[in-house]
Amino acid sequence: MDVSADTPRALVILPHVLRARVGNRSSVSAYGHTVREIIAALDRDFPGLGFNLCYETGELRPYVNIFVDREDSRYHQGLDTPVRDGATIHILQSVAGG
Amino acid sequence: MSNSTTFASGTVLVLVGTKRGLFLLSSRDRTRWEVNATGLSGSRVFYATLDQRSGHRMFAADNGDFFGSFLRYSDDFGQTWLEPEQGIQFPEESNLKLANIWTVEPGRANEPGTLYAGVDPATLWVSNDNGVHWSLNESLATHPTRDLWGPGAGGLCLHTIIVDPTNDQRMWVGISAVGCMRTDDGGQSWTFLNKNVRASFLPDIYPEFGQCLHRMIQHPTQPNVLYQQNHCGIYKSINAGDDWIDIQHNLPSEFGFPITLDPHNPDTVFVIVENPARNNISEQFNVYRTKDGGELWEALNEGLPAGPGVRLGVLRHGMCSDMLDPCGVYVGTNTGQVFASADRGDSWHLIADFLPSVYSVKAFVIE
Repeated sequence: MDVSADTPRALVILPHVLRARVGNRSSVSAYGHTVREIIAALDRDFPGLGFNLCYETGELRPYVNIFVDREDSRYHQGLDTPVRDGATIHILQSVAGG
Repeated sequence: MSNSTTFASGTVLVLVGTKRGLFLLSSRDRTRWEVNATGLSGSRVFYATLDQRSGHRMFAADNGDFFGSFLRYSDDFGQTWLEPEQGIQFPEESNLKLANIWTVEPGRANEPGTLYAGVDPATLWVSNDNGVHWSLNESLATHPTRDLWGPGAGGLCLHTIIVDPTNDQRMWVGISAVGCMRTDDGGQSWTFLNKNVRASFLPDIYPEFGQCLHRMIQHPTQPNVLYQQNHCGIYKSINAGDDWIDIQHNLPSEFGFPITLDPHNPDTVFVIVENPARNNISEQFNVYRTKDGGELWEALNEGLPAGPGVRLGVLRHGMCSDMLDPCGVYVGTNTGQVFASADRGDSWHLIADFLPSVYSVKAFVIE
């Protein structure tokens, strides 16, 4: 994807278990108009990170939650949820337990 | 383990895959055992193996709860792990998505660098460069009956791979709940081999496929002899799987998961049959052994636990043997114990406890 001057830039905050994938940082920047484009950008910059988040079909893994400006993208437009310039995106694993 | 961990030649090393990581049990004399954790500590390790054809590369079927499954490898006995450059990922157009990695097996001695892996959804993967790049076996993935395959309780998983050491075109796979399949042309085509194997949970109990094969092994010196523990019985084939003979005989149940054999006395086979609740049938936890290829079975329990609170289950990869003579036998339970016998099952000792639920054990003698 070409990053034009008007492509939104987001700060992506990663869970601890994925930080080794991005050089042990807690957050990285990524460009994209939607969550889907942000994930694609992350995978370009950090190969394999996309597979951590999505199945081969492109579907978001069931216990992966992506919050855009503190709103769960699942309850908006899923992977097509728009991303504004300056957005903060949290990637979190579900509380899948007791 | 320290960063310099290695194991002397002759050490018995048991790889223990668990619900939370991979552990190594090691012993020089099969009497005193040391337990070590590895760098895989938070994920479900369904299976692990050690490829000694060119060094000591370890492979683990590492299934994460959240962020995917990876067939990782380690060249330092599990302290650090690498991810393949081209891992097991389905082509997007296949509409298949990786659920779990179930098994990985080194190829033949004359094909160094080749490994095979089985996953859910049931497909076979091949690497020809020591696990760095993996590719899909297309003919099995697009088998004309595939749309009719149904999963077992553990998913639609290809959990067993047997590479025939005497025929470079032949191998077998075991799939739940599809059954046994064989290729005789190096993976170009696959044939069902389930004749005389029951599928008591189906209206037609002898279908061409649909059997719930739990685990299958090959006789080390007679490659046409196979054994399988099935959901519905224990079977032997003497013709490479063309048909099967029921060898349950005096066993108290047809149901169980693991099966292994004594490589030096290959008519000696071990199983652990269970009750419908998937644990020991009586208050005594038993391993069962035949010394005559399945004509007569005996319960082995010297050193194994008993009592009203004993409820042990053993999964399909939860029992193995080593290559020593007399052979060692190892059993890992779903309650985190590993029991070992150094005398073909005559007596048993607890060699590890308080582990997470054990998914697999695999023993090696370090070369």
